Amino acid sequence: MANALTRVFLPAYRARRTLPGDTLRSIGWTALPWIVPIALALLWMTGSRYGWISAQVLPPPALVFETLGALLKNGELWIHVWASMTRAAVGFGGGVALGILLGGLLGLSRTFEAYVLPSFNAIVQVPVLGWLPFLMIVVGIGEPLKYLLIGHAALVPVTLSTLQGFRGTPRALQEVAAVYRYSRWQVIARVTLPSAIPVIGTGVRLAFTKAWLTLVVVELVASSEGLGYLIVYGRQLFQLDLVLAAVLIVGAIGYAADRLLNVFERRLQRGRSV
Amino acid sequence: MSTLDWEAGTVKGSWRGLVLPVAALAVWWIVSRGAQAGHGVMVSPAQVWDTAVEQVRSGALVRALSASLARELTGFAIGTGLGLALGALLGISKLANRAIAPSFNTFKQVSLFAWIPLISVWFGLGDVAKVVFLSLAALVPVVMHTSDGIRAVPVNWLDVARAYRYGRLQTLAYVVLPAALPSIFTGVYLALIYSWLATLGAEYLLVAGSGIGNTLVDGSEQFRMDLVVFGVIVVGLTGWALNALARGVQRRWFDTSRAA
Amino acid sequence: MTTAIGQDSGLTLRHVSKRFNDDAAPPVLDRIDLSIASGEFVSIVGASGCGKSTLLRLIAGLDGDHEGEIEFDGKRVVTTDLSRGIVFQDHRLFPWLDVAQNVAVALRNAPLSKAEKARAVAEHVELVGLKGYERHYPHQLSGGMAQRVAIARGLVNRPRLLLLDEPFGALDALTRSRLQLELQRIWERERITMVLVTHDVEEAVLLSDRIVVMQARPGRIGEVIDVGLARPRKVGDREVAGLRDDIVDTFFTEAA
Repeated sequence: MANALTRVFLPAYRARRTLPGDTLRSIGWTALPWIVPIALALLWMTGSRYGWISAQVLPPPALVFETLGALLKNGELWIHVWASMTRAAVGFGGGVALGILLGGLLGLSRTFEAYVLPSFNAIVQVPVLGWLPFLMIVVGIGEPLKYLLIGHAALVPVTLSTLQGFRGTPRALQEVAAVYRYSRWQVIARVTLPSAIPVIGTGVRLAFTKAWLTLVVVELVASSEGLGYLIVYGRQLFQLDLVLAAVLIVGAIGYAADRLLNVFERRLQRGRSV
Repeated sequence: MSTLDWEAGTVKGSWRGLVLPVAALAVWWIVSRGAQAGHGVMVSPAQVWDTAVEQVRSGALVRALSASLARELTGFAIGTGLGLALGALLGISKLANRAIAPSFNTFKQVSLFAWIPLISVWFGLGDVAKVVFLSLAALVPVVMHTSDGIRAVPVNWLDVARAYRYGRLQTLAYVVLPAALPSIFTGVYLALIYSWLATLGAEYLLVAGSGIGNTLVDGSEQFRMDLVVFGVIVVGLTGWALNALARGVQRRWFDTSRAA
Repeated sequence: MTTAIGQDSGLTLRHVSKRFNDDAAPPVLDRIDLSIASGEFVSIVGASGCGKSTLLRLIAGLDGDHEGEIEFDGKRVVTTDLSRGIVFQDHRLFPWLDVAQNVAVALRNAPLSKAEKARAVAEHVELVGLKGYERHYPHQLSGGMAQRVAIARGLVNRPRLLLLDEPFGALDALTRSRLQLELQRIWERERITMVLVTHDVEEAVLLSDRIVVMQARPGRIGEVIDVGLARPRKVGDREVAGLRDDIVDTFFTEAA
């Protein structure tokens, strides 16, 4: 706006000098994302201070951070974080490995796909949580339950994306391999696999989100240690500061892992046109 | 990616697909006959069938399923409605997007189920709490896909609207909306699926009331494998039906004039 | 160099300049002066980067950020207007509308009755040779047909000025020739002022009254050439080829 006016009255004015209005606008722009969180935080703090919000319903932020600090210090937090993360790692790792294997077989062999895919599709119709009561009877509520459920949650997206990756090798590349008389194994190793990797990467990232989600639920329902357990424990004792502290950590870990996998996925996609 | 776009991959020559399930069924039958009869971990297909019949006949199935679906659809409707509004706001206004999107993205990072205990403190363990939770589950994908879809409208088409002097409202109604519709629909589709997943979890954790999830948990606690297996099948079928419904709508409305 | 015609319904550019953010780089457009008479067909040719597409967008009013003045029909060009139509290089048809509806997109804000709009759409679909395809969707059309729809959409408002930004650039050679002749036919019939941006010198020679040769870095007018050949012109004509060769030799043979 200002630029247009200056141009009318000072035609020789070079349109790109920054005016004070510009600087103010860019400061505002940078600050904008912080308005909502800061406003909410202020609301929270004043609400707690003046008793509009009872501590039972929502404890003051200071208390939450205090609790967080205490947990960190006395090492209790690490026990739970460690428990959650090992479960996630085992389940996720196993699920991904099996998923790639299964997806690979489905993708490479039409015969295998014909026999197995329909059953797989049927099983997939039941959401992970649907299997929880079933597995609770079969394996009890110990670690195997968690590994199986988390593994299943990871397995499904990885299998599907591996399958898609293996099936989706561009025709163009396959023809090049045919022209140079690649053997079946060479095609798989040098054409199909490399072209499938970015798709598989995306599937792995998605699988983590689902695995982490499943971890939280399983720990909420049936566990004696871990972040989900902390949440339930705090809830039962009405220690909402504990609940919030644990929720914060769940979010933080989930976020950090997702970003990591995002970077990982982006590197796999380098140089691809899609 | 979810099972959304995968059903298309099923292969012709479908008799081969039946081999595995039939074989599994047979193995199950044989093993269950060998083990002790009666309820326990190893339950026979016949027992599951009997339980199924009984559940249907007594109306327990209808009650549980309709309760679950009613809650799910309510949460879905609320979440989708709010999500469309918020998503549209974020898509259209750069200012609003900049102010709100970062906070929203942070919020959605936290695994949804982690909020349930808090929700139970504020809303109790009954239907209200469940619907609140389900609305949240539906809200997230709708907001993401609506705002993404609106922002992804190619500048080229917006140029055309400007060339023909379309006002703000006209551009939104005649260019942005039709262009963003496939993405918006994807968001709504996901909302349906996610709210179904969330329904189960909510029923496990917010145990007051009835629903198919409650049936499953009850069966689990009473070690009634037949009930649990029955429940699993019902849940699977319902999920499949919802998926098929959404896919049918997608095919009818979106595949004809879409390919651009 | 600039033939000042001074008629009201012409297009006049006075000292039009545009630079992008970087002050150090040469301006995209540097003091362009040009006058185009009503009913004229003018082509703007030049290598990539000479700013010809940018210039067209300024004339269309899609971009208002420039120095200097653009006047059409006696009035300053500030923003878009239905009297100045534009056809883009990519057809930019809306995939959810059929051919007739796509042409009607241009008429949404036109002060015509429903019946008049329908008639205009039908007329122009026929004008570009697509009668019978009104219910087809863009994905069912070939590139050439889609571009014809875009041309119909550009014309249906009966603009007094039609801007064409490399409209045939994305098409194969055969379709291109056919559409060039179509455009010539339409222009002869309607006598709308047309400004065509192209990198194809032969196309310019084939269709225009005058050719504006632009040079890059900074974008400026090199020369304006009167074509002066009788119409109708055909691609194989000796004079067409001769003039094309002249222009290419003079302006485009040294590696810029």
